[in-house]
Amino acid sequence: MEGMRPREMRVSEPDFHRPEGSEQYLEGLLARVARGDQAAFEAVYDRLAGPVYGLIHKVVRDAAQSEEVSQEVLLEVWRTATRFDPAKGSAATWVMTIAHRRAVDRVRAAAATAAREQRSAQVPMPHDEVADTVEASIDRERVRRCLDGLTEPQRESITLAYYGGYSYRQVSSLLNVALSTIKTRIRDGLLRMRDCLGVN
Amino acid sequence: MALRSELHTLTGVYALDALDPGAELDRFERHLARCSSCTSELRGFRETAARLGMAAAERPPPTLRGSVMAVVPRTRQLPAIDEHARHARTGPRRRPMPLRRPLPRLAIAGAALSLAAAVVLGVLYVNTNNQLGQVRRQLTAAQAQLQAITAVRTALDARVITKPTAIGGTVTVVTSPSRRQMVLTASGLPRLAVGKVYQLWLIGVPHVHPIRAEGVLATHHGRAGPVLISGVLTGDTFGITVEPKGGTAQPTVQPIVGVPLPS
Repeated sequence: MEGMRPREMRVSEPDFHRPEGSEQYLEGLLARVARGDQAAFEAVYDRLAGPVYGLIHKVVRDAAQSEEVSQEVLLEVWRTATRFDPAKGSAATWVMTIAHRRAVDRVRAAAATAAREQRSAQVPMPHDEVADTVEASIDRERVRRCLDGLTEPQRESITLAYYGGYSYRQVSSLLNVALSTIKTRIRDGLLRMRDCLGVN
Repeated sequence: MALRSELHTLTGVYALDALDPGAELDRFERHLARCSSCTSELRGFRETAARLGMAAAERPPPTLRGSVMAVVPRTRQLPAIDEHARHARTGPRRRPMPLRRPLPRLAIAGAALSLAAAVVLGVLYVNTNNQLGQVRRQLTAAQAQLQAITAVRTALDARVITKPTAIGGTVTVVTSPSRRQMVLTASGLPRLAVGKVYQLWLIGVPHVHPIRAEGVLATHHGRAGPVLISGVLTGDTFGITVEPKGGTAQPTVQPIVGVPLPS
């Protein structure tokens, strides 16, 4: 396999460190994946397996199940790269959206495990376990700062829903706050996060 | 109920996959198809959520790469869809799976047989679709679960408890405190009225651990399982109640059986 990978497929270091360049790079890779290019898929894997697994692990909690869901997600990326439409959002967003949905499907299907319940009251924050690229750590720092910029109720609702995988109905009952309030908190918080992160 | 403005504020909840399946989700998705400002707001929110997701990056287990790459060459890709079809749908949403997917469990029930059957099935489908990849993934999941079940049953500290239920039939629980897992099997369970299901619970020590819903038990001629339940806590009691179809968030009736789990 290794020998079959054309030289120009290799993920060059500078791409990892230039956010804009790397986004286009990733889209280019996905276009090649859509044509059945396995080497391009390996490059996509190298770039996104960490975020995919990390997010799923945060939501699903159980390591073995997280690995299983990650595998499903990455194969879905391979399978459905033909359907990726850059006009509708970035490549990373497309992959992370699939990952989150699958993680949520899994926890809602399997019902909450004790570990999840125990930690439900905590507000999980992005962790520092990975020694990763400069770009990733800058991103992580920025997300953390932007989360800090939310009001406490906004942060709590968003992290419970997104990292906790709870539906907004569950968030509402966990926090004992009206549904409409949760709805507003999540939207207002996301608007603020979006602006803080400079998402256009 | 379906006020436009009210629906509009659901973009945030929707972007976080936090809308429960049902009427509200359907209504919102219909609204989304017609609301261009919602679509663009959703796009920004999805991007924002993805950044939250990226921030959770973690080194994946070393086995992941190999297991993905092994399946890729055998996994057929979907054909591209034409532009009209592509733009007609905005963010198609997968339905969350029902409580405890039936296929992996079935595969476990008769592991060897279903394994062979599923592989044959997969081969039959391979030329027409991508079913093989899907079957294989379900098999992988089933095998992983089977391994976990075997691990509990063969654990050094495994304990076996058999109890009759109040309405007939017996349940057998194999539990391993060190693994914090249990495996349930049942036989002779009576057929329930239409619209009723057996629901599984882990009932924590009051005021210490909550009651956790552990899914609905599928039965076949009164037999059920093996079902793996993880996250057993000290002092938990395993219980089964008869609930309305789809299950409930909390038990609404007395359990038909309760098994205190040794720790």
